[in-house]
Parts: sequence; C-alpha cells; structure tokens
Amino acid sequence: MTQGLEMRSVSKFYNAGSERITALDRVSVKVEPGEFVAVVGPSGSGKTTFLSIAGALLKPSEGEVILNGQNIAALPDRQLSDIRLREIGFIMQASNLVPYLNVLDQLLVVKRMAGKVASADRAFAAELLADLGLDKRMKNYPEELSGGEKQRVAIARALMNDPNVILADEPTASLDTKRAHEVVSLIARAVKTRRKAAIMVTHDERLLSYCDKVYRMEDGKLSLMESVPVHQIH
Amino acid sequence: MFLALKEMRHSRTRFVMIGIILVLVSWLVFILSGLGNGLADLAASTFKNMNADYVVYQKGSKASMSKSLLSGGLKAELLTMPDVEAASPMGIIMGSAVRESGDPEENKVDIALVGIEPGSFLEPAVTEGTGLDAGEPNLAIVNETMKDEGFELGDTIVLDGAPASLTIVGFVKNQTYNHVPSVFIPIETWRQLAFAAPGSDKGLKDPVNAIMLQGKNIDPDAVSQRLPGTETVTRGQAIQGIAGYKEETGTIFMMLGFLFVISAFIVGVFFYVFTMQKSNQFGIMKAIGAKNGFLGKAVISQVFVLSLISIAVGILLTFGTAAVLPKGMPFKLETNWVVAYSLVLLAIALLSSLVSVRTIVKIDPLKALGRVES
Repeated sequence: MTQGLEMRSVSKFYNAGSERITALDRVSVKVEPGEFVAVVGPSGSGKTTFLSIAGALLKPSEGEVILNGQNIAALPDRQLSDIRLREIGFIMQASNLVPYLNVLDQLLVVKRMAGKVASADRAFAAELLADLGLDKRMKNYPEELSGGEKQRVAIARALMNDPNVILADEPTASLDTKRAHEVVSLIARAVKTRRKAAIMVTHDERLLSYCDKVYRMEDGKLSLMESVPVHQIH
Repeated sequence: MFLALKEMRHSRTRFVMIGIILVLVSWLVFILSGLGNGLADLAASTFKNMNADYVVYQKGSKASMSKSLLSGGLKAELLTMPDVEAASPMGIIMGSAVRESGDPEENKVDIALVGIEPGSFLEPAVTEGTGLDAGEPNLAIVNETMKDEGFELGDTIVLDGAPASLTIVGFVKNQTYNHVPSVFIPIETWRQLAFAAPGSDKGLKDPVNAIMLQGKNIDPDAVSQRLPGTETVTRGQAIQGIAGYKEETGTIFMMLGFLFVISAFIVGVFFYVFTMQKSNQFGIMKAIGAKNGFLGKAVISQVFVLSLISIAVGILLTFGTAAVLPKGMPFKLETNWVVAYSLVLLAIALLSSLVSVRTIVKIDPLKALGRVES
C-alpha cells in the first residue's frame, strides 16, 4: 500500500469558449510520509489547480490521485469532503481562520465536523497549540493575533485531524521574512516529527531550503529542480 | 449549534438588530390577532357562545338576522323533523337605551335587543342576578359590560323611540352582537318592539328573525327542502353572515398574512445577504472538510434560536400591552392562537432560511485556494 500522496499522469482541461486549455499536463509526483515538497512557478502556471486536485477539491480530467493507496480521482463530492476532513490538512493564507472562533475552537471545529469533541481531542488541541507556542493565546480571536500567530493556528488546525497529507497554499503570503521563516520551519518540523507527506505551493524562493524536493510548475508541466541547495541556511 | 451560537455571541450587534425587527413583527402579529379575536367576539359573541348547532333563516337572507323574517310557528314543524333535538326562535334588533334616573342628560348606550323564549337553550346562564321569567315580559338580562356604563341590577332601562321600559334582573358574560352589548328579553316583548309599525311583520304569524336548532346530525338540506322559503346553515356560517363580520376579520387576516410574508422576507433576505458575505469563510470550511449539512445546520439553528427568542419576547410584550390597554378595547388573546401564530412565524423563518442553505450548498470550496493569484 502506498503511503502518502501520489499523482500519476494527472491532467486537467478547461473549456474556454472554443479553446481547450490545459491547466495540468500529465503531472506525476510522489510524496512520501515525512517528506516536504515545494512547488514553485509563475502565476497562471497551474499551481493552484495542482494543489486543488491534490487536496480533493477538484477532480482531474485524466490520471490517478492516490492517497494512502486509494484512488480518489473519481470519488463523489460527499466522499471527497470526508477525505479532506480526515486525510488532508490545509494551511491557507493568513486570513483564513473563522473570525468568530477563538484559537482553541478553530481546532475543535474540525472535530465537530467529524462528529463529537472528546476530551482527548481537547488535550490534543492544547498539545498542538503548545507545540506551536500558542498556549497563551488559546482564548484569543483571530482579530487579536498577529499574522505569524494566525498562520501557526492554521498549522495546528491542519494537524488537528491527524491527516496523512499536509497541503500549504502560499502560507507565507503577507508575512515578513522573519515570520515567513518561522512559519515554514514550523511546518517542516511538524512534517518531520509527525511523518506527514507535505506539499507547499509558494512564490517565495527564500523558503525552499526547508524542503526536501522542489518542483517547478510551468504551463501545466511539473519538473523536479535539481539545483536547489538543501538545508543550507540552518 | 456550536458554530451558530459562537457566531451569534461574536456578532451580537447584527443579530440583536435583526432580532429587534423580528420582535416587532411578532409583537404586531400577536396584537393584531388579539384585536381580531376581540373584534370578532364583539361582533358575534352572542352567536359564538350560543348553545345551538344550526340556524334556520328565511331563504335569500344570506344567513343574516337583519335580513331574515320567519314565522315562529315553524318551530313546531321543525321539532317533528329527524335529528332535531330542540328548536327555539330568536329575533334581534338594534336599539339604544338610557338608564331611568330622572337626569335628562343621562348617557345613551347602543344595545342589541335579543328576543328569546325564557328558559330555552338560547338563554345564557347569568353570572349575577336571576334569569328571565316567561310571566314577566319586562325583565331583561344584559351583558356585564353595561356595568361599566353605570347599569346595576334592578335598574330600569328606557328604550329610545319606544314606550317600553325594561328592568335588569341579571348579568351575563360574553354576550355582544354587532359590537354592542346584548340585552336578552322575552320574544313576545321583542316582537312588540320590532314590529311596532303596522304591517312591518309582513302579515306573518309570530314573526321572528330565525329559529335556532340543536342536534349534531341535522341535515340542513333536508330542512330547507321540507320547509320551502327557508335556508338552514351551521352556526359557523351564521356567524360569517353577521353584517360586517367577514369584512372585519378579513381585514385583520389580510394584515396578518402580509406580516407573515414580510417576516419571511426579513429573515430570508437577512440570512441570504449574511451568507453571501461569508461565502469565502464557508468555502474555507468546506475546503477543510465541512459538509453542506454541517454548515446548513449552523444557519438553520441560528434562524431557529433567533426566531424563538424574538417570538418569546414578542409574546411577553404582547401580554404587557394587553395589561395596559384600556378596558373597553376589544382585545382578546387566546393561547391557542398565540401558539399557532408563533409556530407559523417559526416555520416561515425556518423555511426562508432554506434560501441561505441553498446558497451554502452552491459555494465552491475551491474559493479557499489560490487567492494570492486572483
């Protein structure tokens, strides 16, 4: 059984008028548990489409998406939302927390989506938050947090359901360099210690040193970049 | 419920504001229903509280006492018909009365003079004093609201435009007709007052307006067939036939109907706009795995909690209003109706929230991703 996430020859086409646009062109990639992969590329290259398909938000036109040995490419919407809930942790941009929930509830709501909140879940949420240095902020609302803190909450939320795959969509957008490094190093640490398969889509080339592999996306094609200096900054 | 309550606590102002509108709407609904009940009672309580099942009118009178004229002699024939357990004639004329006090400037009151057979099933039970007496033509039992006009037991009422005077021997409760208190008198006395003008009885023997029947299984068509020139209706139809009754209650019901539609739109539009504003947020939650049901339930529980609280406050305000309304105001709250209208309001609110649920279902979780590029 394949652990982690694998995409086999995945393509996505859109019809725009009479033209057929190829957003993803036979993309294949494999991310093992404990592996942190970055995808870089210019705007419009297909990064978002790639992440949407990896994250079970969008169905590919062709190819297979294998999550934990299960091909999720053709599942119905209802099951996809279950997959997202149980198998995938999303880290989105800074503003993507629920404004009326405090930090602890941001995590617990994920459990609510799946059913009930047990006391073990509360303990796990508290542990995650403590791990990310947020133990003093548990009762604060998003509006009272800094950009870096919000992203740390987002990381904790992504880990809450103990998913196999972590997907990060521009997690450092609107953060300064110091905060950006802090956030990405926290993601990297969580990926290593918790053995998650992680993909980060980013513009920010300063942060690639935290990643095990870097892929470049261009015109829907994904290619491995060989020349990235790994773990240089540490 | 979790999301719903957290959000309501966090965005208190906007929920309080919409809640206030709902409170006002429900308050108005309950006040209108109270007024409607009060008015309907004032117009027809003598009929509503009458211990009869069917009413025999003259054909063509459209179930209206004032249009109908029959011979009281029909009673005997009606009593021979199957399922007719009892029959008794009734006549009503409007009039005005003044208390005999020797004061020439004494206030007049409008009354409905209701002629009945003393001791029949049409005679309401007195709450004070004694009932009518077949041997005493000038005794009357009157609705207790006349006490507010200064009438007491033993007082003599002089009728305007007629040489007769009546003595109040008893008070009855909830007996009004055509918005004025009912004054029950023996049918013979009534006949003398109603047909004082020669020829006004159209030559009928013992003329009355209608004959009331008791008997649950009476077939009104059979009665009408057996007695040509008559039409038999249920007591409910007879109430509808009272002049102005349908128009009055119709107006109130129309206003209530509008209020229900308005409340549907208030709730529907508010939550729709609110949902649209939050569509990005819903997108994110869907992206991290929330199902439509989870988010839809949040909206519906918000509508439920908000409506429930607003309606409850509306009911409290209505009872408060009822307590301070002037006594003469026709206002009567009936628990059944308050409960029914509350449920209608609640159901309407929940139904209109389905628009928002549909909006949520349509929100694409893809919204959550790639916003940097867009």
